[in-house]
Amino acid sequence: MKFAQAMLAVAAATAMQFSASPDAFATGKMKCDAGPQSGWKSRTDLEAKLKKDGWTIKKSKVDGGCYEVYGVTPEGQNVEAYFHPVTMEKLLVSQRGKVIFKK
Amino acid sequence: MLRLINVHGFFWLLLAVPAIGMTIGFLRDPVTAFDLIHPSGEFSVRFMIMAMMISPLRALFGRQRWLDWLLARRRALGVAACLCGLLHLAFYLYDMGDWGMIAEEALIFSIWTGYAALAIFVAMGVTSNNASQRAMRANWKRLQRLVYPAALLIALHWVYVDGETMGMIVHFAPLLLLETARVMLMFKRRSARSGTGAVTG
Repeated sequence: MKFAQAMLAVAAATAMQFSASPDAFATGKMKCDAGPQSGWKSRTDLEAKLKKDGWTIKKSKVDGGCYEVYGVTPEGQNVEAYFHPVTMEKLLVSQRGKVIFKK
Repeated sequence: MLRLINVHGFFWLLLAVPAIGMTIGFLRDPVTAFDLIHPSGEFSVRFMIMAMMISPLRALFGRQRWLDWLLARRRALGVAACLCGLLHLAFYLYDMGDWGMIAEEALIFSIWTGYAALAIFVAMGVTSNNASQRAMRANWKRLQRLVYPAALLIALHWVYVDGETMGMIVHFAPLLLLETARVMLMFKRRSARSGTGAVTG
């Protein structure tokens, strides 16, 4: 019984450790060293540029210091894409985890 | 409240709350389908893991009232996992909205692993009743054991779609530790038995 209780305590402690650490949930797919956000181009501008290029945007947010965009490419692929927030350069495009573009 | 949770119907209803909430959210604003794909999948995994934890807990702690209580509700947990999995698929299909694109993505590793896991869940879900259990006899147990490959497929599906491991690890770690403990305890008991056998034999 002591052995079982010890294992259960380890399981609970592990779960608590992970859930208490917000950094544990950063995706880490792409990191951008883009400086302070005051120097970034706006996300609205990026979305407008992508829409002009034929993209359909579902959602966008900041992840790892980059702009992360979920949407459909002009070629009709559902993707998750990362862009540099200062240069707006395309850094990574993945389709359901399959990398289809990487700078 | 404690007495109410013992009522099976209420327990089923309690498990349905996340799915009901997500469905209402979707019906109010179908654009949310994209945002509901991940949480519906996560609820499916949570229910599956809760159901899967009961056996190793019983192996480690023996017969306990709270474990008997959970065991009596394992079927409900399994069916909830299956239904949330189907909801996860429904949100995905709606969000994609194009059969050609859906077919193209089905060949990607991260996606077909999800379909394969869901196919196992559906097979288990539709046979989660006493009549199927009686009709299938030993095959019913064999089918239920497919939850282990399904869990592996789900872990792969999650990691490859998300491109990160932490979310999956947080959910699967307790189960993995319990299963490891169960196997270790099994070996410990086996070696103790063979040791006793050597002395007496």
